[in-house]
Amino acid sequence: MSAASLSAKAEPSRRSLLKAAGLAGAAFMVPLSGCGATSGAHNGITTLRFMQNKPEVVAYFNQVIKDFEALNPDIRVIQDFNEGNFVPGLVRNDPPDVVTRGFAQATADFVKKGIFADLSDMPVAASIDPKMQDLVASWGQYNGSEISALPFSLAAAGVIYNRDIFEAKGVAVPTTWDEFIAACETFKAAGIAPIYGTFKDNWTLGQGLFDYVAGGSLDVAGFFAKLTAKGAAISPDAAESFTNNFAPALPKMLQLASFSQKGAASKNYADGNAAFAKGQAAMYLQGPWALSQLVAANKNVRLGSFPLPVTNNPADTKARVNVDMALSITRNTPNMAAAQRFVNYLLEPSVVNAYNEKNAAYSPLKDAPAVENPQISGLNTSVRDGRYYQGATTYFPPSVPLYNYVQSFVYTQNGEQFLAALDDEWRRVAERTAV
Amino acid sequence: MTTTARVAQTARPAGRKNPTPAPATTGTFRSKNKIDPTYYWMVVPVLALFAFFITLPALVGVFFSLTNYAGYGDWKFIGLANYVNIFKDPAVLQSYIFTFVFALTTTVVVNIVALAIALGLNAKIKWRTGIRTVFFIPMVLSALIVSFVFNYLFSNTLPVLAERFGFTPLATSILANENLAWLAIVLVTVWQAAPGATIIYLAGLQSVPSEVYEAADLDGAGSFRQFLSLTLPLIMGYLVINVILGFKGFLGTYEIIVGLTGGGPGMATQSVAMRIFSGFTGGDYSYQMANAVIYFLITLLISVIQLRLIQRRGVSL
Repeated sequence: MSAASLSAKAEPSRRSLLKAAGLAGAAFMVPLSGCGATSGAHNGITTLRFMQNKPEVVAYFNQVIKDFEALNPDIRVIQDFNEGNFVPGLVRNDPPDVVTRGFAQATADFVKKGIFADLSDMPVAASIDPKMQDLVASWGQYNGSEISALPFSLAAAGVIYNRDIFEAKGVAVPTTWDEFIAACETFKAAGIAPIYGTFKDNWTLGQGLFDYVAGGSLDVAGFFAKLTAKGAAISPDAAESFTNNFAPALPKMLQLASFSQKGAASKNYADGNAAFAKGQAAMYLQGPWALSQLVAANKNVRLGSFPLPVTNNPADTKARVNVDMALSITRNTPNMAAAQRFVNYLLEPSVVNAYNEKNAAYSPLKDAPAVENPQISGLNTSVRDGRYYQGATTYFPPSVPLYNYVQSFVYTQNGEQFLAALDDEWRRVAERTAV
Repeated sequence: MTTTARVAQTARPAGRKNPTPAPATTGTFRSKNKIDPTYYWMVVPVLALFAFFITLPALVGVFFSLTNYAGYGDWKFIGLANYVNIFKDPAVLQSYIFTFVFALTTTVVVNIVALAIALGLNAKIKWRTGIRTVFFIPMVLSALIVSFVFNYLFSNTLPVLAERFGFTPLATSILANENLAWLAIVLVTVWQAAPGATIIYLAGLQSVPSEVYEAADLDGAGSFRQFLSLTLPLIMGYLVINVILGFKGFLGTYEIIVGLTGGGPGMATQSVAMRIFSGFTGGDYSYQMANAVIYFLITLLISVIQLRLIQRRGVSL
């Protein structure tokens, strides 16, 4: 879940509207494929189109591109930050040459369809931390072994906490579930909301409460691998079902929800950022994408992060990560050599490490320096040791309105119905995509 | 539902009473098989644009509803499997129930409110023009903006007020309540849609000659009796138009829900249009296309029934 996709959720219709409009238009463009190609070689200068999906780093990449062009005068790079163009580009057979996207279910779908070129021969691939490369590979590889994307930025999420409130109440960062509950009780007794809940924006419930508890208490990747293997034959009684695997985690989710401030149901993400930055709660179940907003709301706020402990064994504690950006080259690009040079440049330590330091994320390089940013350094151990998981919500096909189900579960507290609905939805999608 | 369509209705309120007499003399001056090409110039471009931008995409959609197309990549024919799956999907069924309950409720409320406002605005009250203008402001505001404003009111202002006055049912946002959220959507939709209906009713009320009321006064009918036995029957055509246009528009409800609840809380306020649209972003293109085709057939059926109703009433749309 990249910050970009979050901002897209804040305005639900705009990007999807563009995408839809593009899709509708693209249907007519099929016979015209080949028209409108903007990349290619002219006068010895190769023009590359580089698509990235985070509006907040457009200026940053413009600078990177300028530096790259100064070093490579025979290549010109155009930045395209309208991700809605990507699918229509595919339909027109005119996709961008280099693409970076958050790597999860949706991008994995493109990989399965063979949209991206194999990057395993690129020398720079060897400099990537294999654990992070595995996160990409865990979504499936084209032809069994191809590397379709190289991670560029890894976002690690846990519990953001207000250091001042923790110090004032003498609470240490909890390392077990019991300690965590005790900390919540301490804050509650002191009249401070332990956690700031923003239930109105249902994705915050999905990536926070649902993903953290699920990821901390069960092997999410393994679960979904078995579930996918089972296909449309899934039923609530099967050993692979949601009902039989998620049930033990649900009470903890409800317990987390109960520690939220009063009226959490009518607060959204923006309200949450403003209120938490002003010290209206001790903890906030958000990832690094919220940090810049929190600091913008109150530049004196002192923040830290820790992975949510969900069991009483500190060794089980894991952070939620997502490959926030992964670089790919489209398979049919006529400018393969130039595209590879650009990807190589982006993955040079000075570029990729600087980007991640600036954006409170983790560099994918093996020998990247340790993160010193105190806002996220609490997650360093988890990331370094590879004790992390990709959120359960990211494994769902987008046609399942999962966030709505999570929200409904938190409101009605009906776990059985929630899990039965997930089993049902999963089976129906498997049924209709299998045909 | 465009408001312009409603305004256009008011431009010819007398259409059914004074049908334009056919120019009977034309035939004698011009040979029967020769039609002025101007008419073709008027019709054909529009027809071509309509066919290319509306009909053709719709047919493409119908075609893809028979495939497993995700919007990109490979696809193959899967026959009617999408349609079969739609009928087995409780989430889709729920969205249909919500949409129809919503459309029925909203149509009734909009027409009651609009008729009441129209009666008030038609009476000889002070500052009538000014008040009319105020009532029509909601019509010119974008539904999305209106719903974002109401979203803020429901989530922040209303709970604070309710808490201050000790009115607990409203102390948490009704948008967060699975059973009440749809009422908020009805309220905002009514607020937005009532002015359009009011205009049509006003036109209708102005077409009623004042003599009938004078006669009723002489006969000793009270104002309620006058409304029931005179006003209502005389503006029945306008009521039918409002109900039909309104119902059709509310079936396609989308942006107000997006602005208010986004389909939540939970799955409580997912309209059919939202489900269909989710197919574009969700890789479920062909499946939701099948849903769209089914929904088209249902609305078509309703439209045919309504047209029959109109014809019986002698109203022309």
